[in-house]
Amino acid sequence: MRSVYVIGAGMTRFGRSEWPLVDLAAAASLAALHHANLGKVPVNAVVVANMGAGRINRQTAIASALVDRLSLWPAAAEAVENGPASGASAVKVGYQAIASGMADVVLVTGVEMMRAVDGLEATDFVASLSQPEAEYIYGVTLPSLAGLFARLYMDRYGVERKHLALVAIKNHDNAMKNPYAHIHQPITMEGILTSPEAVVNNPPVAEPLHMFDCCPVSDGAAAVVLASEEVAAKLGAARVAIAGIGQATDTHAVHERQDPTDLKAVRLASAAAFDKAGLKPSDIDVAELHDAFTILEIAESEAAGFFKVGQAHKAIERGETKLTGKLPINPSGGLKAKGHPVGATGVAQLVELTWQLRGEATGRQVAKAKAAYACNFGGFGNNVVATVLRKEER
Amino acid sequence: MSEKVYAFRCTACGLVSYPKHAVCPKCRGETFEPVEIAGEGAVLTYTDVYALAIDYDTRYLRLAIVELDGGLRVTGQLLDESPKVGKRVRTTIGVVREPAGKPIYGLQFVPA
Ligand SMILES: [Zn+2]
Repeated sequence: MRSVYVIGAGMTRFGRSEWPLVDLAAAASLAALHHANLGKVPVNAVVVANMGAGRINRQTAIASALVDRLSLWPAAAEAVENGPASGASAVKVGYQAIASGMADVVLVTGVEMMRAVDGLEATDFVASLSQPEAEYIYGVTLPSLAGLFARLYMDRYGVERKHLALVAIKNHDNAMKNPYAHIHQPITMEGILTSPEAVVNNPPVAEPLHMFDCCPVSDGAAAVVLASEEVAAKLGAARVAIAGIGQATDTHAVHERQDPTDLKAVRLASAAAFDKAGLKPSDIDVAELHDAFTILEIAESEAAGFFKVGQAHKAIERGETKLTGKLPINPSGGLKAKGHPVGATGVAQLVELTWQLRGEATGRQVAKAKAAYACNFGGFGNNVVATVLRKEER
Repeated sequence: MSEKVYAFRCTACGLVSYPKHAVCPKCRGETFEPVEIAGEGAVLTYTDVYALAIDYDTRYLRLAIVELDGGLRVTGQLLDESPKVGKRVRTTIGVVREPAGKPIYGLQFVPA
């Protein structure tokens, strides 16, 4: 297999898009293409990550539409729909194309426009990924699964709402330093948990999870340009290598897992990514985790191997996952505060990590970051893609 | 629309699974017989969800995963004013969703 490098990364600000879907995708794509500075080197293929355009934007075959908008003909084009893991799955498709020798340069763009519909419809659109006859028919939504998971997990490991709040506060703080983040709102423990007003400020969404435990509904797009070693060298690009990708699936219905608190697919995908990269969790300098709900940042950080099971909330208490801590998690603000346009998320995680490894994450740069990890969590953990990036010295 | 909910017993190894798989997760057998899901068990976890899907006009739904005696786990609606993890419940069948006025029957749990 050939080595694959991320030679460009860009995104739109997450939030509410004033642009139509394809223009939103084009804006992120152009940012990444300008960052890559390809000159006359052609883009061989375009992979688009998207979960719901066919349903919520009434547009299909959007990879062809994006190629057209960017005048990239005759580049190959396809869209990848893999639920909330669509982003990292699409990057994996681009990676495979280059590693196998089928392509030298691939543009991967994730995009989602969820605010084109009202909140109920957006919630239902995501809920439709749940098991149809054993979960969805009961009114299960993603927050419901997160609430069921959180109660079990918190009871077992002694995690309290204050730990969840610490994750939210950290991620909101980080997002304040990220101009691309959806939410620019500093929050405090008093404001969301301990003051009398917190009951009003932070209403329940799916007990024990409250509003400030949940990501917002966002529009947004993010893109990376991937290249072979030969092209990366020719362009003199910064050497950010995709050192390893791992993917694993688990049962569709959460209740069918032997231990529903065990995020087995995160564990297996991460182990595979680390193995391919020849790195250990302790080698990682910065991580982007899929904190669609605060409890997931805690549970994923353990399943990925950064902390022993049941210990992450203690590391959070000690500040270890802050920007200034031992292992900064979600310097971008995470899904919690950067936002979660589902198809764009997995790509946006790698955009942030690429910037971190290139030393370009102004205002939130993790010092001397050399190795980075991302967890893109699809379904409710039934399809997970883990990616390890590494900066190579030239 | 069926007013019963079924799990599936593998005719080769006897494993009862729910929901349906075309292939047995244990022995890879491909033939099953339906087993009606009914009986008592304990609440494994529950949530009151306010972020509702379409088709509901209540303020919140109380959902639970219940572990039935015998070990099979199921997700459903918990009809209990004082829910608690570990509390004994029994299954019943009721309308769990009504898209476009068409009732869907499914599992509900009431105190045992
Ligand atoms: Zn069997």
